[in-house]
Amino acid sequence: MLGLPSVFRGKSWKWVMAIRILVVDDHPVVRQGLKTLLEGQSGWEVVGEASDGLEALDKADSLQPDVVVLDVTMPKMHGLEACRLLRQKAAGPEILFVTQHDSPHMMREALQAGARGYVVKSNAARDLLEAVEAVSQHRVFVALSERDRITSA
Amino acid sequence: MKLRILLADDHEIVRRGLCALLQKHEGWEVCGEASDGREALELAKRLEPDVIILDIGMPNLNGLSTTRQMLQHDPNFKIIILTITDSDQVIREALDAGARGFVLKSDAARDLVSAVEALQSKRMFFTPRVNDLVLAGFLEKGYPISRSERPNLPTLTAREREVTQLLAEGKSSKEAACLLNLSTKTVETHRSNIMRKLSLHSIRDLVVYAIKNNIIQIDMPLEIKGSPQRSNPQVA
Repeated sequence: MLGLPSVFRGKSWKWVMAIRILVVDDHPVVRQGLKTLLEGQSGWEVVGEASDGLEALDKADSLQPDVVVLDVTMPKMHGLEACRLLRQKAAGPEILFVTQHDSPHMMREALQAGARGYVVKSNAARDLLEAVEAVSQHRVFVALSERDRITSA
Repeated sequence: MKLRILLADDHEIVRRGLCALLQKHEGWEVCGEASDGREALELAKRLEPDVIILDIGMPNLNGLSTTRQMLQHDPNFKIIILTITDSDQVIREALDAGARGFVLKSDAARDLVSAVEALQSKRMFFTPRVNDLVLAGFLEKGYPISRSERPNLPTLTAREREVTQLLAEGKSSKEAACLLNLSTKTVETHRSNIMRKLSLHSIRDLVVYAIKNNIIQIDMPLEIKGSPQRSNPQVA
């Protein structure tokens, strides 16, 4: 679908790269889970958290993260709308969706809204770190549960 | 001595979040983690944890059936049910199954520590919203309805409930038999008993029954565009 060469990366983390991340999800427990996983990586920092799309816009403005890890279904402002608005800004952050929607349709909408990455929540523990690294380097990372991961150089 | 907690949820991200939350509390440790009810049951028997936290919507064996089986093994187990829905029926079923704590996932960051503390000191814990619902139901109906007082509701045995869940999840009789250590023929007998008891005619009917009665849950939001609301599960 993406027409890009796929690259399968191993689990080794050779380079330490500082990445500033904003975590957005309406469930505090999920935010905590994502945060625990992300902060386990040396040099990665969760600079802020938000529980809806509007708060995400505010925090992205004030904190200037490199990557926003964004939920789709949230109160106040839907993740897709937040994504479009975040991507309108010059030098806006890269967006990685982490969502329950295991659907090619939603994945397409997310990419059309300007997201660079798409990970299904049930597989987040497996895919999240690789996805954050990819999008932080402006590469695409998408993975539905039944498909192989796709990244682009 | 540390308070030992067993944690079961099919989403690893949620488990990590809950673990982080619980382990911030001095003197508590998560002694085991499980990703479905069957694994939780095995771990509970082996580890004998002080408190058990079970997601209600797990594959293979849901939180309610797991609760029943755990309490059958040891009536002293202290079990908290974690759920995304707070319908009156789910609360009653959790109570019926023997859970002594009931926490909404959305409120877990606030309530789970209080729930564990309550169960630790032999009290019950219900998320405040749940208390309101239970009270409202009590006032409305005069008294809470227990299973025995519900009229004309065919009851499944624990085994039939397990078989119902596995079949509704799309497993074949053979796969279900394998998971339950039964013969395929026995599972098929259970299957025809279930269909007869519930007057169901197809697997589709069985899936609808399983969803309506919280034997399986659909946790994938089905709405695709625009609306920030989570839609109700539907079966096509």
